[in-house]
Amino acid sequence: MIKHLAAASLLFTTACLVIGPAAAADPGITDTEILIGDVEPLTGPPALLGVAASIGHKIAIAEANAAGGINGRKIKYVLEDDGYVTARTIQGVKKVIDVDKVFAMLGISGSGQSIAVMPVLEKSGIPTVIDVAPVKFLWEPPRKNVFVVGQSYEEGIIHLVNFLADKNPGKKWGLITQDDDYGITVHDGFDSVVKAKKLNVVYSGNYKKGQQDFSSDMLQLKESGAEVFLAGGIIAENIAMMKELEKLSIKPVTGIFWPGRIEPVLKLMGPAGDGIYAVDYVEPFAGAAGKAFLEKAKPLVSEAEFKGINRYTMTGYAAARVMIAAIERCGKQPTWACTIAELEKTKNVETGVMAPISFGPGVRFSNQKLQIMQADAATLSFKPVE
Amino acid sequence: MQYLIQLLISGLAIGAIYGLIAMGFAVIYKSTGLVNFAQGEMTMITAYIAWTISTTVSGNVFVVAIGAILAAVALGLIIERLVMRPMLGEPVFATVMVTIGLAVILRSAINFIWDAYPHGLELGMGRGIVHLGGIGVRTGQLAVIATLLLLLASIWAFFRYSKVGVAMRAVAADDRTALLMGISATRVHALAWAASSVIAGIGGVFFALSYDLSPAMFQLGLRAFPATILGGLDAVLGSGLGGLLIGITENLAGGYLGSGMKEVAGFAMIIVVLMVRPFGIFGERDIERV
Repeated sequence: MIKHLAAASLLFTTACLVIGPAAAADPGITDTEILIGDVEPLTGPPALLGVAASIGHKIAIAEANAAGGINGRKIKYVLEDDGYVTARTIQGVKKVIDVDKVFAMLGISGSGQSIAVMPVLEKSGIPTVIDVAPVKFLWEPPRKNVFVVGQSYEEGIIHLVNFLADKNPGKKWGLITQDDDYGITVHDGFDSVVKAKKLNVVYSGNYKKGQQDFSSDMLQLKESGAEVFLAGGIIAENIAMMKELEKLSIKPVTGIFWPGRIEPVLKLMGPAGDGIYAVDYVEPFAGAAGKAFLEKAKPLVSEAEFKGINRYTMTGYAAARVMIAAIERCGKQPTWACTIAELEKTKNVETGVMAPISFGPGVRFSNQKLQIMQADAATLSFKPVE
Repeated sequence: MQYLIQLLISGLAIGAIYGLIAMGFAVIYKSTGLVNFAQGEMTMITAYIAWTISTTVSGNVFVVAIGAILAAVALGLIIERLVMRPMLGEPVFATVMVTIGLAVILRSAINFIWDAYPHGLELGMGRGIVHLGGIGVRTGQLAVIATLLLLLASIWAFFRYSKVGVAMRAVAADDRTALLMGISATRVHALAWAASSVIAGIGGVFFALSYDLSPAMFQLGLRAFPATILGGLDAVLGSGLGGLLIGITENLAGGYLGSGMKEVAGFAMIIVVLMVRPFGIFGERDIERV
């Protein structure tokens, strides 16, 4: 009898060892739920992008849940605040992966923060779609499990400067950039067009992150006689620069970059912001696609969240849509391996907020189409000009 | 020449804001011997409250001014009573750390109570541009320079002639002796926190009026701190003047040496001044460094 019991136990243990791993699902998935994690700056000045991006993720998740979830499983969103502090980003990502045990990741915070957490993401192997701050390091070299939706800062600047150069031939140029990796990228993009088009740059300034008074900088710009100006600030800096130019009674043709292309900025710039050019890869809210997105979002988020919508909401929404679609294509038993394979197969996915998104074998960057927009102070909106 | 004058005027305008916040630092230091690292955050909170009043109650400049001053007094008193008074008698290092913790909490409060978007403080005045001899200046910038000068004179008279002002100086000089003379040190501390909150808050409101309101505004505290060190950590009036000096130096450096030098100039100036006068231009020789 004992022999029979021992044999049965051995058989059961062997069966568990053989069958067990095959049947075990990846973390973050139960019969009723799928967890998606995210780490964003929800406090401090960069919350402007972090909160907005998380609202985009929430909209896509609410939309999917309203349609029955992913093959019957509801999506649960786990969001952590990093305060835009890299050490907290790493801590937050580790927490959502190891403690909350999420199935997939969206986000993640700023460019520096995404770069810093790359080893954690790679080591874990979790399917990830990055949407907030696209920089080349995130997709070059391509990582198996990390996909990036967007366009590179450098390409954005090249597109904008090329447009302004073609529109304003023979003019004098001025540029001011921030003294960090963002500023260096903007400067590099600008320099590449300067060389190619032999632009006449009469002013090149550099400001320290956090600078709020631009009186001497803009005075120097005026003295230089610059006629076309690339304002390399982010949000408050560009507002301060435009208001200084207004005070100095000059109005060069001005271009700004997408991190600062949010509608409330125009209200604060007032008439000084009228006509400024911007480059972006998401649709302006003033266009048909933008209006349709707002209509869709309204019933899916709270009133406070609706007020927090900006361009980053669109990038977040698009990334979440791509991730949800990939998990969905894996059927009833999605795994990390299948989700990554399906993300790779993403081909011309329509999100309504930017050009169709595609990845491919070894291609982890969606390389979105860029468009130029122009500010209209009367309607406080950006309108496409191409 | 016009270039120089323009740099000087802009420097005076931003320097006046630094000066007001620097005076806030000095008022607390002079009365309590403490460097308040939450000064920039207190400045920002008052400005946000002013903005809230302007958008929800009334945009009338007097309503906003009175509301903001009352709010700043309340903020200073609440912080003193709930956070600082329990720290009385504790090591200075621990108390300073408490102000750093307070700074983080106040900074985060902006996103919880308001939002991360920049806002404009619209009071129907202060944003207009006037041209003085061909030089464009915002009326708010002229007003902040005038306000600083007025406050400098008022505070000098307050410390020199008023009973409360003399009591504050007595506590600053020797709090035990002042106590024996019947002066309540805790009451003086509370008054100092309230006064500091109001003075710095005025700077914050003017900044919001001339520039904008954003969660990054707390950094004004970091900009104003060199002004306090320059003027003298225990010199309220000196700190105000220190602000003007820092503002002008920053702008001249930015205008003549290049944009990158603007932020460095103020700190370079402090290093030089502290090497010659470690207690600041107007500070007293016997000063406790924290």
